[in-house]
This record gives sequence, C-alpha cells and structure tokens, in this order.
Amino acid sequence: MQIHIRYMAALRDRLGDGETAHDLPADITDSEALIAHLTRSDAEAAALAAPEIRLIRNDRIVTRPSALADGDRLAFCPPFTGG
Amino acid sequence: MPLGIQVSVEPIAAAERLSALTGQSPHDGAVASFVGQVRADGDLVALELEHYPGVTEAALGALREQAISRWSLSQAIIHHRVGRMEIGETIVLVAASAPHRRAALEAVSFLIDRLKTEAPFWKCVHTASGRHWVEARDSDTAASQYWRDQIAQEDA
Repeated sequence: MQIHIRYMAALRDRLGDGETAHDLPADITDSEALIAHLTRSDAEAAALAAPEIRLIRNDRIVTRPSALADGDRLAFCPPFTGG
Repeated sequence: MPLGIQVSVEPIAAAERLSALTGQSPHDGAVASFVGQVRADGDLVALELEHYPGVTEAALGALREQAISRWSLSQAIIHHRVGRMEIGETIVLVAASAPHRRAALEAVSFLIDRLKTEAPFWKCVHTASGRHWVEARDSDTAASQYWRDQIAQEDA
C-alpha cells in the first residue's frame, strides 16, 4: 500500500516540507501502526505519537485511530490554533 | 465555499460585513458579533496564519450549520483571514442574528470557541529575531470542550 504524507505547521518545520510517498508493509493498516512505523525509522517522528496530533485523511478531519487505504493522502496536524 | 463562510488573504472589512447583517429581518431582535485582532504581545511584529484549504472551509461550514440549528439563528457568518497580518488587523469575524439576544450571543461564543480547536488554522508569530508557532492553550481547549459537553448533554 502506498500513501502520501505531509506535515502541517510546526510539524513541517521538524519533519519536512512537501508531500512524500511511502510504501508501507502489509501489516500497517491504520494510523497508529503507521505512526509507529514512521517513529521507528525516524526519531524526530516521535512527536507524531502525541495524542493531540490531528489527522486529515483525503481532505477530511478524522479521529485516530483511522483506517488507511492505498492511495490515501494523510496530513499530520499539530493542535489547531485559529481564531 | 460554504454559505456564510469566507477565508481570505485580503483584510476583513468587519464593519461592512456587520452592517450588511443588521436590519435584514423584522424578526431579528439581536445581532451579536466577535472580532478577533492581532494583539501587540511581547516582541511580536506580525502574525501569520496557515490553514488547510478546503478542509478549513468545510469545518467552519459545519460549525455554522450546527449553530444555526441549535440556536435557530436567522443568519450566521464566519470570515477568517489567513496569511500575514500586522498588529491591530482583524483575524476573524463571527456574527449571528436571531430573534433574541441570548441565542445570538451564545451562538457567537460557541462559534469562536469551537473554531479555535476544530478548524485547521495554525498561528505563527514573527518577531525581529525569527518566528515560532503558537501552541494550543489549555483554556481554549477547555472552552471548546464546554460546548461539546453542552451539546452532548442536550442530545442525550
């Protein structure tokens, strides 16, 4: 399964700009397994595991854990600070 | 963009938007509003708002629909600015009209409290020496949660 990941705001400063494609092992089927996978390969990514990190999947805000499907576009978001 | 929702890089003409909302219906006894603006805070020279286009507008639209139905509003608008803004400039305008003041005031309070935590905006503070992202405040999370609990109680 391939998914496209991007990081928003403060997470982008830490983890990189732009959308990157990731080929995932078959046992990764939801957001939490994905976070564990990203965290294993990149110590910086540990920030993603924090419960306050929000997820936008294919242009919809979803709750964690969220299922994943091939071709998904995922955006990891720090807590929102608008208004 | 959903009805009554605007997200723009251009400055918000708050007075004009409000004036368009007043005197619209003979049944409206109240128009309430909130204007959030950039505050001179420490070494802040400007504020920059990032958002997630498309998702932001949908989130604001959903909150607006919720408010209209819960408080039986006649009208409700949310205009949020994105990009870079200077001290004193308007960040957000929320306004609602209703037959009675309580509904209009509560709806505006609900909308600003909820949008802070439910719409994908991020504030970045620019100073003379660099920039940093604003962290979510516990008081904002609590205010948003208050409305969530209120609605959950009423729906129960």
